[in-house]
Amino acid sequence: MPEPLVTMSAIRKQFGSVLANDDVSLSIEAGEVLALLGENGAGKSTLMKILYGFYPADGGSIGIAGRPVRFSSPREAMAAGIGMVFQQFSLIPALSVHENLLAALPNAPWLQPRRSENVRAALRWLTRLAPDIDPRRAVRTLSVGERQLVELAKVLNLEARVVILDEPTSVLTPAETERLYGFIRTLRSEGKAVVLITHKLADIAACADRIVVMRGGKVVDEAAACDRTPEALVDAMVGRGVAGSLPPPAPPATSVPLLQVRQLSADIQGRTIHDVSFELAAGEVLGIAGVSGNGQFTLAECLAGLVPARAGDVVLDGISIASRTQDAAISGAVAYIPERPLDNAVVPDLDLALNLALRETRHLGFFPDRKGIVRRARELMARYDVRPPQPALAASALSGGNLQKLVIARELSGTVRLVIACYPTMGLDVLATQAVYREMFRQAAEGACVVWISEDLDDLLSYAHRIAVIHDGAIAGIVRREDADRQMLGRWMAGHAMDSAA
Amino acid sequence: MSAAGNVRLIAAVGGSAAFLIAASIFLATIGRPPLTTLWQMVLYAFGDSYSLSESLVKATPILLCALAVILPARLGLITVGGEGQLYFGALTGTAIVLGFPTAPMPVLLPAMMLAGAAGGALWSGLAGLLRARCNVNETISTLLMNYIAVLLVNYLVYGAWKDPNSLGWPATIMFPQAAIVPSVFGTRAHAGLLIGIAAAILLHIAVTHTRWGIALRVLAGNRKVAAMAGFGFVGQTLLVMAIGGALAGFAGICETSAIQGRLQAGLSVGYGLTGFLVAWLSGQNFLRAIPIAILIGGLIAAGDALQLYSKIPSASATILQGLLFVAALGASGLAGRRSARHD
Repeated sequence: MPEPLVTMSAIRKQFGSVLANDDVSLSIEAGEVLALLGENGAGKSTLMKILYGFYPADGGSIGIAGRPVRFSSPREAMAAGIGMVFQQFSLIPALSVHENLLAALPNAPWLQPRRSENVRAALRWLTRLAPDIDPRRAVRTLSVGERQLVELAKVLNLEARVVILDEPTSVLTPAETERLYGFIRTLRSEGKAVVLITHKLADIAACADRIVVMRGGKVVDEAAACDRTPEALVDAMVGRGVAGSLPPPAPPATSVPLLQVRQLSADIQGRTIHDVSFELAAGEVLGIAGVSGNGQFTLAECLAGLVPARAGDVVLDGISIASRTQDAAISGAVAYIPERPLDNAVVPDLDLALNLALRETRHLGFFPDRKGIVRRARELMARYDVRPPQPALAASALSGGNLQKLVIARELSGTVRLVIACYPTMGLDVLATQAVYREMFRQAAEGACVVWISEDLDDLLSYAHRIAVIHDGAIAGIVRREDADRQMLGRWMAGHAMDSAA
Repeated sequence: MSAAGNVRLIAAVGGSAAFLIAASIFLATIGRPPLTTLWQMVLYAFGDSYSLSESLVKATPILLCALAVILPARLGLITVGGEGQLYFGALTGTAIVLGFPTAPMPVLLPAMMLAGAAGGALWSGLAGLLRARCNVNETISTLLMNYIAVLLVNYLVYGAWKDPNSLGWPATIMFPQAAIVPSVFGTRAHAGLLIGIAAAILLHIAVTHTRWGIALRVLAGNRKVAAMAGFGFVGQTLLVMAIGGALAGFAGICETSAIQGRLQAGLSVGYGLTGFLVAWLSGQNFLRAIPIAILIGGLIAAGDALQLYSKIPSASATILQGLLFVAALGASGLAGRRSARHD
């Protein structure tokens, strides 16, 4: 058997009191897709960031093709053929795709004629992966999936032999995900090693050859992908049998509408919604499906009262909440879990304790009780499993999944009348996802109505009372869960309205 | 934690060393014995009670102008308007004195100081209003308003407010005794210093321990989340700009009344800008600004003394001051980068 391309042995890494990697050993072969599976905070990303030279290891050694190496920066790792695509991209939004790719090349010349050899070299991977992306477009006009492909092309341009993808599918639509799986298989056939950091079993079923499961900083299982059932993987990942699947929330007790959305129109930088109307009873969960970028963000912001409605109204329990910022009385009754929590839901430089207290700031005394705030933060962080549980940490130090849990803890721990949740389980693992659903449905059981924006049709079809599909800023159709099927939702998502679908 | 402390210590030592080397090279170049001259400067700044009092006199407006920068910075605003606010405060305070020159001290003195603070608050608040309502960059607007205030004062002291008996010197009449801010400790240092220090401590407590401080941090960090939590950007912008401007305006009227005794052109020797630099050196920290302002006040006072007694051109003091700022900012910048990497 040939020597593995990369061997990592006995890697240790400690962050403060947290042992992120505890004597982890791992090998990566050329021409294979290695899935690094584990829950949030299991240490998968840390391990790969050590390989990428982003963090120095506290102990252990790394070898590439049998030669021991020690990277002190990503630059050195890249020179050795290791590339990594992060969850947060490092593209420059104002520049065009090919400018971004050129800028990432080593020894990029100052003057770059349009038709030079360099340009063609910079674009060679992109044109293979995604010939439909016009390299002259500015990166800011690209969708998340397209940006990820550009980022991937950037890494491949550097002659990467090992490509590490950090939870690549967590930001993608189903179609984009399928496309990415295709690329991963292409890379494998070219003899590249691909490391897929993930907690989604679907990723593994689609393209993994070998699986390494991590839990609590250690490798707990290692096997060929075909040797493990999904159930076995979940068990290995969470360490015990998951307590079945969640029962769907009970049907609402009344049909009297608590939330009325009437002909709502709004606009955020060209992303519009128009004539959105629906009614929700107390205890009802409305799932909103749709391809991302069809007005979900605008709808959520508008329901939360953060963006003024251009026309129409949002009435909660008889009170208009279309401009909530002006109305202190009602703001406590609305819980809002926005997408991209780092941008929309937390203050990155503020500590976790205060970030968790943001809903109560109106009721704080002039000299707030810091000890009380910290105590409450500790309770919430323990209850919602936010890691690391250090209230003094800045919010920017949390990983995406833990940040999401933090926001859930803040928004759903109190008593509210309306829950607006945008992709509330994005970046969360199996257990955390269930915990979020349980919280959401507890709110519903206690008489709140829930607007749940999601791209996960399976979950919507299992739990929501009704499912609406948003397309191009308008509701393409609303259907009760019992009457819904994937084909119908799919047609609506593609833009066939309710009438023509019949 | 201790690693960050170490980095800061190394930065302080490194910055001082860099300053000493650069200053020595500069002094040697202009033909002065470097170490002797530097030691002389220390003596001229803090060596005896007279020097110390002069240093504190210089430190007072610098400290107040630094506070006027730090408070808006806590909201993420960068203002460079200390100089203009100082001048405008001096102008409005002087207007009271010129309007009621014979009023008794218990009325005139507080009225003058309040008018000075109100003038500064108005001048700064205008920039705040432009920022909050029309999204006009506060750095540009405060910079431009500096020119207006300085030239407005010039216009008045060369014209309508000029003392007819001053033989053409561009200045108002001498302030009556009832309008002189009292000095403290039997020196030239005046009550403005105490108020400045008290304001620094109070503001520090306010931004670190109160709900208001949380509001500022939330607004500075994420405006949208602040809106969800119910904090308004407009009101807070006006508030911090007005409080900051009030402090700078207060500095202006104190300088006019206690140090110069009348409003005249050239009231400030760049206190506003120096205050801005002190604010940055302090890392936008109210408490740290106090010793730094006194240190810089000492450097300026020593520069004056050097010019008087050692015949070193006055510009050298400014050059040394510049070297100190560059060394300190460079060192703290490097320290910030290192501690960020070690996080």
